[in-house]
Amino acid sequence: MPSLPPTAGPVRTPYLVAVTARATVAARLAEIPALRDSGWPKSTPALPRRFLRHADEQTVVGMHAVLAAIATIPEPLEREGHGVIAASCQAGRIAAAQTLVQAKHGGGVTVSTQIVPQGSLHSLAGAVSVGLGMRGPNLGVSGGPHALSEGLLTAFSWLHGAGPTACDTVWLVITGWDDEPALDADGRPTTDPVCRGVAFAVSRVAAALSFGGQQMTLEYDPHGNSENPPVTVAGSLHSFASALAAHDSSAAPPAWSHHMPWGGDVRLTAATTAHRQEAA
Amino acid sequence: MDAIEQHGQADREPVMITGVGVVSPVGNSFSEAADALLAGRSGVRSIDPGPFAREPVQFAGAVTDIPPPDAAACPLDPTAFAALPRLDQLCVSPIAAALADAGLAGERSSRRIGLVLGLGAEHLKAWEADYLADGGQVFAPTCSPTLVQRLASVFGLTGSAVTTAAACASSGYAMALGRSWLDAGWVDACVVGGCDTLSPTSLAAFYNLRALSRRSDDPTKASRPFDRDRDGFVMGEGGAFFVLERKGIAADRGAQAHGELAGVGMSSDASHMVAPCTDPVQAAHAITMALHDAGVAPEEIDYVNAHAAGTPVGDAAEAGAIRLALGAAADRVPVSSTKSMSGHLVSGAAAFEAVACLAALTRQALPPTLNLDHPDEACNLNHVPHVARLAAVRVAASNSFGFGGSNLCLVLRAA
Repeated sequence: MPSLPPTAGPVRTPYLVAVTARATVAARLAEIPALRDSGWPKSTPALPRRFLRHADEQTVVGMHAVLAAIATIPEPLEREGHGVIAASCQAGRIAAAQTLVQAKHGGGVTVSTQIVPQGSLHSLAGAVSVGLGMRGPNLGVSGGPHALSEGLLTAFSWLHGAGPTACDTVWLVITGWDDEPALDADGRPTTDPVCRGVAFAVSRVAAALSFGGQQMTLEYDPHGNSENPPVTVAGSLHSFASALAAHDSSAAPPAWSHHMPWGGDVRLTAATTAHRQEAA
Repeated sequence: MDAIEQHGQADREPVMITGVGVVSPVGNSFSEAADALLAGRSGVRSIDPGPFAREPVQFAGAVTDIPPPDAAACPLDPTAFAALPRLDQLCVSPIAAALADAGLAGERSSRRIGLVLGLGAEHLKAWEADYLADGGQVFAPTCSPTLVQRLASVFGLTGSAVTTAAACASSGYAMALGRSWLDAGWVDACVVGGCDTLSPTSLAAFYNLRALSRRSDDPTKASRPFDRDRDGFVMGEGGAFFVLERKGIAADRGAQAHGELAGVGMSSDASHMVAPCTDPVQAAHAITMALHDAGVAPEEIDYVNAHAAGTPVGDAAEAGAIRLALGAAADRVPVSSTKSMSGHLVSGAAAFEAVACLAALTRQALPPTLNLDHPDEACNLNHVPHVARLAAVRVAASNSFGFGGSNLCLVLRAA
């Protein structure tokens, strides 16, 4: 079969999206039980009672981040058509360890019915969709150290997709532990690390013209696969959360960029007049 | 519907399926699986009671032998392949087959080939397999590369690589995401799909949830979608991978297409984390979006491969969604559930059921629903019970629904 040379040159770049709400929440493992049924901003929508009772720790923190981001929006938000992408890193590990230890001794009858629906990669996205009534698509992505890259790329894919499958607004929630919890032989945590969640709403620029804040630019390197430093979800989340915070507090925020493991960069920049004119 | 009207039908180059790889309870290649599905052959069987000895359900749609990967498409030698975890093997083998089928075995790293893996419980399965082998990965405070990263490395794929999870719709979302990358020109080709593996924990969890059939006296009769005597689903393992390419590129290099991934629709019920939503509106919305995306009307659909897993609530809800989306055409459009033969491949289900649609498109015959002895009145559809039916098939749709309220519909069109 004849072959073609590899494609060269960028295609349809850059891709712009507007960041219309954002928040970061960090909580120590020991603090998370108290967050399951309380602690969210007063102005945010109410979750069903005890909704997070069985949720994974990263789901609890991620949901609080979404609620904190919603609380920053001055006008009531119509969320019905919003999509949700949640990128976690090894969610469900504590519950999995305890489940396996129990099942080894007590058999299958001891396995919780919650382990799959609440401890899988889709669980955080599903919880945000169900809890907050978002009926666009909901999807978990990654599960590993490239959570930020995989989440960002998927969000850009949805926002710039063609046809009826595209979304106008996507909530992107990225979670991970600063340090993975250490567990004893029974699956009980022996350390008290911080779980961090960054949530932000990204919209097609044309759908967010009234917003004067941040924009991201995705520039895709078609040659891909350039050398990358080792990444951790904690490191990339720290960096991203700091950049978001800097944009809130500074008139001339520092540039932030994130290199994708397969090539390409995401840059966080302040919205410019040119961007708004382009969108218009 | 406003969103549909707003965005309108896309002006996009068709995306073709130029390679298929399958590992499933009913066959380990596209032709084997198509033969079995159209012959009405069940892959549900008693499973080796070894690691499942303590579990209450000892039958499933199990993969008996995982074929070693095509040597031209995968650099792993048989020894290295045999040393991989079972879940990795269930992905490596069909990915290699799909690349070889597409004629890309020797060009894996010279072209930008992306990879989207639909897999919902990768870590749980990996930790469990390791723990049952006396390992301690689940206790270790480390974060290892994910399977999609390892697979991209094994095959030398240089395009973007993402894992998608929407429970039982995971591999369908992978197909949708890969198609969007091709639309954007981010990759030259994309390997998409998903697989899953049986595990004691998931078997026990679904059993305890009362989601599994308990017909252990006759496993081949246990999976009975749409039947009034259905009592839950039968777990399965395996899945499928595809090579997707834009039509122009595929044609220029002379690749033969199995079909076109013509439409995708996605929505969420936002109803419950586990229970199926009895309101069919959002599931129907996903079907309608997929039809619109493909540019076809309900009456142009020649076959629907239903998600229908055999659960009392889910099957009836899906029947309502199909009726709502297709309207009067629902009286005519044939519907079947191949889970009656394969069991429920969970993360791999949507991809495997796309294989069933390709079988219908390429063989001009409709796979049946086994064990549909007494169709439930609440599932009033134009069923294909017991045996395959010859039919002219140009367009097929496949539904997939999952925990967290995910709804997905794919529309496939003959090449």
